[in-house]
Amino acid sequence: MSQDTKKTGVKRREFLKVLGATSAAVAAAGCSEDTGKLIPYLVSPDQTVPGVSSYYATTCRECSAACGLIAETRDGRAIKLEGNPDHPLNRGALCARGQSALQGLYNPDRFRSPMLNDGGTWKPITWDDAIVRLSQGMTQARGGSRAGGGVFINQHESGSFPRLLDGWLAAFGMPPHLSVDFEADAAAIEANRRTYGVAWPALSFTDAKLIISFGADFLDSWGASVPQQLDFADARAKLDGAPRFIYIGPRRSLTGLNADEWIACKPGSELSIANALAGKGSLQQAATDSGVDLAALQSLANELAAAKPALVLSGVTGENALDVALAVAAINQASGAVGVTIKPAQPLTAFEGMANTGQLLGAVERMRGGQVGIAFVRGVNPAYHLPKAANFAEAFLKVPFRVSFSSFPDETTELCNLVIPDLHPLESWGDAEPVRGTIALQQPVMDPVFRTNSKTIPVALGTADVLIQVAKKDAAVAAKYPAADYRSTLIAAFPGGAQALGAALPKGLAAGTRPPRTLAGAPAAAPRAMSIDGAQGDFFLITFPSPLLGDGRGANKPWLQELPDPVTKICWSSWVEIHPETAQRLGIDRGDILEVKTTNGTVRAPAFPYLGVHKDAIAIPLGQGHRAANAIPTFNPMTHTAGEIQWGYGRYARNLGINAFDLLPVGTHAAGGFIWTATKATVTKTGDHETLPSTEGSARQHGRGIAQAINSADLNKPAGGESGEPKEALPGDASHEFLPGLRSPVAADAQGELGAPTAADQGKNKGMYRDDDIRGMAKRRWAMTVDLARCTGCSACITACNAENNVPTVGAFWQNATIFADQKPGLNIARGREMSWIRLERYFEGNPDGKFGQDFETRFVPMLCQHCGNAPCEPVCPVYATYHAPDGLNVQVYNRCVGTRYCSNNCPYKVRYFNWFGYGESDRKQYAFPEPLNWQLNPDVTVRGKGVMEKCSFCVQRIREAENRATLEHRELQPDEFTVACAQGCPSRAITFGDAADPNWTVAQLAHDKRAYHVFEELNTYTAVVYLKKVNHPAAGATAPRA
Amino acid sequence: MAASATPLPEGQGLPEVQRPNIPSAAVRFPAIRTYDQVDREIAATLGPSLGWFGALGTAILCMLIGATAWTYQIHEGLGAAGYQPPVMWGVYIVTFVFWIGIGHAGTLISAILYLFRAGFRTSIYRASEAMTVFAVMTAGLFPILHLGRPWKFFWLIPYPNWRLVWPNPKSPLVWDVFAILTYLTISSTFLYIGLIPDIAILRDREKNPIRKAILSTLSLGWRNSDREWRHFTRAYLFLAAFATPLVLSVHSVVSFDFAMALVPGWHATIFPPYFVAGAIFSGLGMVFTIAIPLRKAFKLEHYITLNDLDAAAKLCLFTSSVVGLAYLTEFQVAWMSGNRYEQDYFWNRVFGQWAWAAWIMLICNMVLPLSLWSQKLRRNPSWLFILSLFINLGMWFERFVIVVPSLSHEFEPWQWGTYRPTWVDYSILLGSFGWFFMWFLLFVRQLPVMAMAEIKEVILPPMKTRYDFSHDLTQGAIDPDETGVAH
Amino acid sequence: MQGVLGAFREVDSAVDAIEDLKKERFGDITVFTPTPRHEFEHVLAHGPSKVRIFTLIFGLAGVTFGYWIAVWISDYWPIVVGGKAIAAWVPFTIFGFEVMVLIGGLATVFAMFAFSGIPRLTMTVGYDARFSGSQFGVWVVTDPDRADDAMTVLRKHGAEEVRRER
Repeated sequence: MSQDTKKTGVKRREFLKVLGATSAAVAAAGCSEDTGKLIPYLVSPDQTVPGVSSYYATTCRECSAACGLIAETRDGRAIKLEGNPDHPLNRGALCARGQSALQGLYNPDRFRSPMLNDGGTWKPITWDDAIVRLSQGMTQARGGSRAGGGVFINQHESGSFPRLLDGWLAAFGMPPHLSVDFEADAAAIEANRRTYGVAWPALSFTDAKLIISFGADFLDSWGASVPQQLDFADARAKLDGAPRFIYIGPRRSLTGLNADEWIACKPGSELSIANALAGKGSLQQAATDSGVDLAALQSLANELAAAKPALVLSGVTGENALDVALAVAAINQASGAVGVTIKPAQPLTAFEGMANTGQLLGAVERMRGGQVGIAFVRGVNPAYHLPKAANFAEAFLKVPFRVSFSSFPDETTELCNLVIPDLHPLESWGDAEPVRGTIALQQPVMDPVFRTNSKTIPVALGTADVLIQVAKKDAAVAAKYPAADYRSTLIAAFPGGAQALGAALPKGLAAGTRPPRTLAGAPAAAPRAMSIDGAQGDFFLITFPSPLLGDGRGANKPWLQELPDPVTKICWSSWVEIHPETAQRLGIDRGDILEVKTTNGTVRAPAFPYLGVHKDAIAIPLGQGHRAANAIPTFNPMTHTAGEIQWGYGRYARNLGINAFDLLPVGTHAAGGFIWTATKATVTKTGDHETLPSTEGSARQHGRGIAQAINSADLNKPAGGESGEPKEALPGDASHEFLPGLRSPVAADAQGELGAPTAADQGKNKGMYRDDDIRGMAKRRWAMTVDLARCTGCSACITACNAENNVPTVGAFWQNATIFADQKPGLNIARGREMSWIRLERYFEGNPDGKFGQDFETRFVPMLCQHCGNAPCEPVCPVYATYHAPDGLNVQVYNRCVGTRYCSNNCPYKVRYFNWFGYGESDRKQYAFPEPLNWQLNPDVTVRGKGVMEKCSFCVQRIREAENRATLEHRELQPDEFTVACAQGCPSRAITFGDAADPNWTVAQLAHDKRAYHVFEELNTYTAVVYLKKVNHPAAGATAPRA
Repeated sequence: MAASATPLPEGQGLPEVQRPNIPSAAVRFPAIRTYDQVDREIAATLGPSLGWFGALGTAILCMLIGATAWTYQIHEGLGAAGYQPPVMWGVYIVTFVFWIGIGHAGTLISAILYLFRAGFRTSIYRASEAMTVFAVMTAGLFPILHLGRPWKFFWLIPYPNWRLVWPNPKSPLVWDVFAILTYLTISSTFLYIGLIPDIAILRDREKNPIRKAILSTLSLGWRNSDREWRHFTRAYLFLAAFATPLVLSVHSVVSFDFAMALVPGWHATIFPPYFVAGAIFSGLGMVFTIAIPLRKAFKLEHYITLNDLDAAAKLCLFTSSVVGLAYLTEFQVAWMSGNRYEQDYFWNRVFGQWAWAAWIMLICNMVLPLSLWSQKLRRNPSWLFILSLFINLGMWFERFVIVVPSLSHEFEPWQWGTYRPTWVDYSILLGSFGWFFMWFLLFVRQLPVMAMAEIKEVILPPMKTRYDFSHDLTQGAIDPDETGVAH
Repeated sequence: MQGVLGAFREVDSAVDAIEDLKKERFGDITVFTPTPRHEFEHVLAHGPSKVRIFTLIFGLAGVTFGYWIAVWISDYWPIVVGGKAIAAWVPFTIFGFEVMVLIGGLATVFAMFAFSGIPRLTMTVGYDARFSGSQFGVWVVTDPDRADDAMTVLRKHGAEEVRRER
């Protein structure tokens, strides 16, 4: 839904949302498992119309930032998550992880009920039983030798719950909980606190003249990625006015690939560079330390001096992280950034009150010391996140009573006695304070997915409610908790009460603030810094959280597993990045299994030669390698029963790749943060080899002009030869006078029967696109523009598309299971059978084999069905299964398709995807939507059957919905009234959709941009997707690398 | 006549005009003296034998393996086969084109050579016509078999239907449907028409009443009257005249499947002639593969004489050179086109990931047949047999090289890929051979593998006076206008 | 129908016999021959076969129908594909050609059947099994009173067997 729709049409419904949300009986019959699939409602709640979506505003809890959500629900089931346009952080956009929250909600491995570890065997218990057991546990823990020794490890969040939790713990005489976020950059937070007095000031990329990042991956998972990405894209959209972006670090992450220049320094040497820039050290020294040549640093320094204000960020994860962060802060102050590009006045409060790893390790020590009587974990998985060296499990098991509030079976939960599954954020009440002064409200968008097994407790309880229930059972504490449940507590606390809350919910936002939670100094373990250079090994070992799976919490969501890593394009697997030159030296090929060995452990993973990693370093992503004690080698969905627990974080995460934490020593730096880049490793080549499950064909364009770029300097030169496109343009490349070319003439004209088509000819010879043509081809032309200057390659559009169009995931190891075929994760992907309708191609330019230093450029191209005017796929279909709709869509009729696959052969863009197996048939191994994942399916879109071709439909269901709504309201479609899923979700606003035939739509104007071009224009396909060239900002004098 | 070891019949001296290696229009089968001998020897090939049962059993077994694999594929989905997008067509389409190609020699020999009055066709055309029909029956399975939803194949056939949508007449695949169905109908009709007089012969020789009844029905009551022969020869001529352009058209249409697409390596105007030549070449290869064992097994060396093999080998050599020329032309066109997609593709074809396949194709189809320049080898059945196996292999790989590498190396570098068939593909490929040979074996033991009536026409007729050779050599026997049936 | 049947071992004697029979004004002569021989064509001197006319007519009908069905299909539910004209007649030539061959070919065969009077359910009089083998038969339709003359002619030319049939 676009912003406009929410402002205009939906008000009425929004009022209903309030009722819908606040009435406890909402969608009572809607979402329980035993309801028939065809008729979700027997008795429909008054305020929902079957087949018409309702939209609820709530808050995303996938990471600490707390972006705003609009959840689209149909007949009582959430089917799509989109950004809340009014939310100060994400302004309507949403990252891939946020959109995948749905697969957490509908995850087939969620606990159906509380579970009890009865001497090693797990058995379900009733809610009543669970609460009784918990309160008994509390009573015991209160007395005895370990009195007051309780540890509650909670996933970091802002808002009311942390304070409720602290109060509850206090009531039982226990210390405040540890609010942990493994991905948060403790060093940056500490430095910010010292420098600006806030944990996280707002960053403004648009106001910067120069952006320098010391390994701060603000487009991956550093800080609040969505707002950062929005702002960065806006900055880039200033084209020739845009700030240059220099990335300094040993590994070029997704953020690094978006940089104009990469300074590849030795890990740990960022400090001397930062100091030199801050004027506290000599450039010469920095050059020697970092192995970067002096000239580069010199020009860097000059540029920094010239550009005021600059925006310099530090995301270093080494032992000296805090020092770097502080040095960077100094640089920023020097360049007058404070208040302009760094705004302490508008802090992101989401990062306040966070406990660091040091404190967590302190708690672990206390457990090991036997001082802890009861331990809780909620939403975090320390048994997975803490390196083996920390011996968490051994210490944790010393705690007599261990409770997990996790919804999923994970490594830590497996160690617990009692599991009281929390509700998913989309099922529960709550609030957050993303930025100071704004409360983001969280409301249940649907009834809990699973019905409870208890009469007295009809609806599953969230952790907050469990706490309240337990408190009520304890005479001493009960008095403190008058309210019936957490919801009424929130209402009571809300200024203005239910009325005001009801009024605020539709927008999901309210003014106000929550008193900051004081870090009641949980004693931290002493920082155990180690000098990385001292460590043994040939290569620096760089570990980093995956931009998609994060620190591993996303690993049980098939969308995120299937989504190719934005940098390496590998999915369903782990990999070891190694520089091509090094790889060549060691005789390592892509896919060779390497053995990586540190003093702490050994892992085996396939090699991925990557230009963007320092020659003396290897890099391994975090997030995979979830294993369970009782590892089940293969998983057969056909014999699987819902009750059967899939330990190892669920069926989609278990036994995939390796866990890089196993390699790391336990180290915390001065700010108490965990040291990612802590050690060196030896790499040995094992004999084995595997085909990487990667969607990458050739990483080079071979000069085919798919992703075109232009130097900012050339922007204002006349179009044509100097327009910055490669000089060795393809022979027969049509001239750009041909643009927009969205209206295709009949084939005869296109093939030049009327001579080289000119603008004039375009006017005259529109063939069936004449205005008076009976086929009405001329009335509309749905089209799309993709601005490569904005696109960062984050891949959120892919998840948006998967969610909207019921695209199956095909990579799980049992999904390629046929007789005599080995069950291998991602085998279908390795065979090129991925289904996602839109893909992000990542092309490297320049520096063919890493021979020429670090200098290479990356271009991202979202490639989807181009909806050609002269579509090559159409005439070859023997059964008219694909044809041209009057409004310019290239339509695919699934029921008509017999599966000759000729259309795909004839598609130059290769954007058609074939159903090799029955991914949509629940009685098959390859079924992609095991109950209740299938609840997420969009009722407006068919689930395609076995043996038919499918492809991007330009979200035709959204087009028709908008058209029908307009018709019902007796009006014409308004320009930009709606948009398609990928465009809606895009956190860099690179995609614009609309009617190119009507000049009032934004897309029609953008299509005439001077940067506009069609891919493979010389094929005369007259694509409806127009790309705007990427804009490079080479250093003064230098020219951007080009293939 | 080195063609035959047996001496000439007494009382009938040779005509003076005789050149080596050119079968005389008059005495083509010196070892065959009387009409009775023809009937006796050819009728002797009928009826089962132990070896035949063995062969048939093997064929049926292979067919069953293929059928099983197909059943499994239908149940599981096409994913069971080795497709790796962007390679959306694989072994099945390759094998389809392969069999269609095989199916071209028969009609070529029976129709085109007939119009050209090529004498050597007489003894081999029946077998190759049967081969044609069965090859097309085999090929016809594959377009269905490679569908994602094979149970919907009839949607490609034009007939009034409740769906209100007819097939798309702009799609080359629909052209295929028309071309192949027409070809199947016409070539099987052709085969049957030619069979009628011979069935009549069998009918008249048959003692067993049941078989006699069946044969009578099949022979449609043929009586060898001059009236029947007159219309028969005329109709046969016109059928040949139709079948000739049909042969050329069918494989041209098949080549359109590729030539009409944008794919680099497919989008070429030389495809129709190139495919037709290739088809005839592969067909002749299969004729050798079948005829040479046949003449040995059935002791018919004096029917399929070395002269016939020699002549066929020359045709084989010719088509091989045409195909070779086409290969080279493709490279030259790519080179001179200045079209980067084409150039990349053809470079990748011979030096890239698919080099091995391309070189198998070039060696088997271009290089080895050059041996046929030597007369000694042309007249050496064993060599011809071995060579024919290589030709079959090479022609299968020609289609492989056209289909797979092109798709795996298209416009979009990001989608460049590779291809590896699975056991399902291989089993179905095997099954297709089983299916083909099952039919062929059933044929050779039930119906005459040679046109008895035509052979009788070629050999010297019984006369009370000496046969006047000059009549043949000057205008008579090889004059198209006077004779209906060929020599 | 009755007449005289003579079986000959040699072509030329059969031919001579026929010539004599013609001299004797025996009109309705049928020759059974294992394989078509020109000698008989010359001596019998029948006109050319009429099959060709059917071939022509139905061939033309076929090509017309081929084009027509393709165009009709396209216009029946006009669907735009690949920006091409709805009725693109150039590729439709393929349908024209294929259908021409199909209908023309089959028509030829049926014409042949019709003219030569097959399929024939019963062997009518005047046929003998050996004529498909190695001997040539001459069947003369004649009234009983002239039968003897015919038989003498046949015997004179060395007919291996001569018999009267009715």
